[in-house]
Amino acid sequence: MNKALMIARREFVHNLTRGGFLFAAFGVPLIVVILLFVVFAVISDTQDNTERIGAVGFVDQSGVLMDAVSVPQDFAAYQTVEAARAALDSDAIGAYFVVPADYLEAGEVQIVSDGSVPQALRDQFDAFLIANLGRDLQPAQIDRLIEPINNTILTLDNGRRLESEAVVGLFFAPFIFVFVFLIGSQTTSSYLMSSIVEEKSSRIMEILVTTVTPIQLLFGKILGLGALGLVQLAVWVAGGLIALNLGQGIPALRGVTIPPDLIGVGLVYFMLGYFLLSSIFAGVGAVTNTEQESRQIAGIFSLLFSIPFFFIVQLITDPDGPLMTFLTLFPFTAPITVMMRLGFGSVPTEQLILSIVILLLTTLVVVWASARVFRWALLLYGKRPNLMQILSAIRRAPTMATTASAPVENAPTKG
Amino acid sequence: MNQSVIQVEHISKLYGSFQAVRDLAFEVYKGEIFAMLGPNGAGKSTTIRMILDILKPDTGTIRVLGGKLDEAIKNRIGYLPEERGLYRGVPVIEVMTYLGQLKGLSTADARKRSMTYLEQLDLAAFARKKVSDLSKGMQQKVQFAVTMLHDPELIIIDEPFSGLDPVNTLVIEDLIKQFRAKGGAVVMSTHQMYQVEYLADRLLMINRGQQALYGKVDEVRSRYALPAVIVEGQGDWASLPGVERVEAENDGRGTLLFLAAHTQPDHVLEQIARREDIHVRRFELAVPRLNDIFIQVVEQGRMGA
Repeated sequence: MNKALMIARREFVHNLTRGGFLFAAFGVPLIVVILLFVVFAVISDTQDNTERIGAVGFVDQSGVLMDAVSVPQDFAAYQTVEAARAALDSDAIGAYFVVPADYLEAGEVQIVSDGSVPQALRDQFDAFLIANLGRDLQPAQIDRLIEPINNTILTLDNGRRLESEAVVGLFFAPFIFVFVFLIGSQTTSSYLMSSIVEEKSSRIMEILVTTVTPIQLLFGKILGLGALGLVQLAVWVAGGLIALNLGQGIPALRGVTIPPDLIGVGLVYFMLGYFLLSSIFAGVGAVTNTEQESRQIAGIFSLLFSIPFFFIVQLITDPDGPLMTFLTLFPFTAPITVMMRLGFGSVPTEQLILSIVILLLTTLVVVWASARVFRWALLLYGKRPNLMQILSAIRRAPTMATTASAPVENAPTKG
Repeated sequence: MNQSVIQVEHISKLYGSFQAVRDLAFEVYKGEIFAMLGPNGAGKSTTIRMILDILKPDTGTIRVLGGKLDEAIKNRIGYLPEERGLYRGVPVIEVMTYLGQLKGLSTADARKRSMTYLEQLDLAAFARKKVSDLSKGMQQKVQFAVTMLHDPELIIIDEPFSGLDPVNTLVIEDLIKQFRAKGGAVVMSTHQMYQVEYLADRLLMINRGQQALYGKVDEVRSRYALPAVIVEGQGDWASLPGVERVEAENDGRGTLLFLAAHTQPDHVLEQIARREDIHVRRFELAVPRLNDIFIQVVEQGRMGA
């Protein structure tokens, strides 16, 4: 087997069994899904369960409900507020509505109860009032008065169809991508950086570089951990699909699907973004000596990828404006910006293609530069080269430096 | 005829304005232990790294196992660096298997060979333990086993005995000797002069990046031999013909007999045998220890600089 593939397999298997990865890949989505369902279940129980209220009274002082039609079951009319109050106090009813004399002018209705009143009960009373206010109209006319426009949002980029009540869920799929991209690429790139720092600090690098070429080592690591990132992506997407399937009863998720083309675009950006980030992290790992030091520097690049979050307001108010166009084309911000824009509508095809081309070219340049830095700096111990030395290494492609040879201006420290 | 496994031809290496290695040339043969000596900063590690293609020489050429170092040749070399370590949080057997695989072994073969070495080194019980659970000496032995795992033709070992107790030093020495006996070539960089004296066949001493001494260990020592013999016993040593001066040996056990010009040691021994008033238990040429030669060469280099 090719040595790069051996390294890839080792990195994949070794990190696949790490507790941190298992938790990030399986534990976090599981917790998110469980929390989602618990929250919706609690909300749904609070808002939909009218049985806990029992019988409901109403006092009509306006005359709107005189000779009422379509009286819901468990609804009972009371002549006075005092009578309704007495019924409430004696637990004959759980709540009562008071429709005041000026209801038609003011539109206000009082609800009296010992505790909270579920939204479903208010909706039921709304419907009761509407039925009586429009008792001379056809039911279809009443429906149109209640909801003159029934929204269906059709996004042109990928043809997602969303019911109006699923607007909250509109962003679901892209945001899952953003979440998975950030966690997945950061986790695996951090593993890559840590493994390089560990191999340097434990000095096993000395053996590795006499067994494999630095390029085999670099690509083996990037491939192995990239595969790990894809496993994480697959787990999350599968988890998302299951959650969506199970959550179709939840209004916010109703009608939301993850279309294959969105997954396709997401996959392209995930791969390119991962290669870009991991190559940078590999270079950082090669020029640093401790994990703490490497994380500090890598954090700057992670921040670059997260920039679109700082412009979320502009993203909502002006998703096709110059700022968002710039962030779409800027390679470090492209993966997250594009996916977030897709959540709010569409990205023009030519922008999408240009964005992918720029990201691809940048990734190739960064991989190339990182390979040079990686090869040059693998055996540097205890001293971090400065920016000028790193740039010089990229430009001149020198052979591997050692602790003795790296600080070119200094005398060596050992034979 | 000696079969060359390493041919170094006039290599030089400059770090900025510092000349780390200057016009160094030597050969290493199959079936020998070749010692590389030199004070700290002399250029030993730089030379080893150039042999292993980690660094490129500015001038000169290096041929290893008959050619330029490619992947196939790398698989025929074992390297124990001075700066060494293993994956600390990983079981010993896994680390060994992985590194064996990278040297071209199959997974099954690498695992089998690893277990054989661990048994030989009395570490079989630690196969599933994490490297970090092993003592420094144990880790050192594992590291040595990794160097030998793929049955290389050439091993380059940098300070192989550092951190080892006397018992484990003997274990590693035996492995090195067995490897030589099978025809393997050993390049050993060390500061342990006494080990070079009885382990190494030939040596190269580097000082300030240049060759200071090169040749068979015995020949090099003979070159520095004093015109004297060391004796232990009783008698009037000064009365022997050809003995010019008598001094106590540094360790206080023997006596140094400095000989007059053109006096041969065997002639002195004949005289001793004839004399009934002189009894001898030990008689040997006053060949200096490598350590003394090393210090002398380094001091000369310092004064000449």
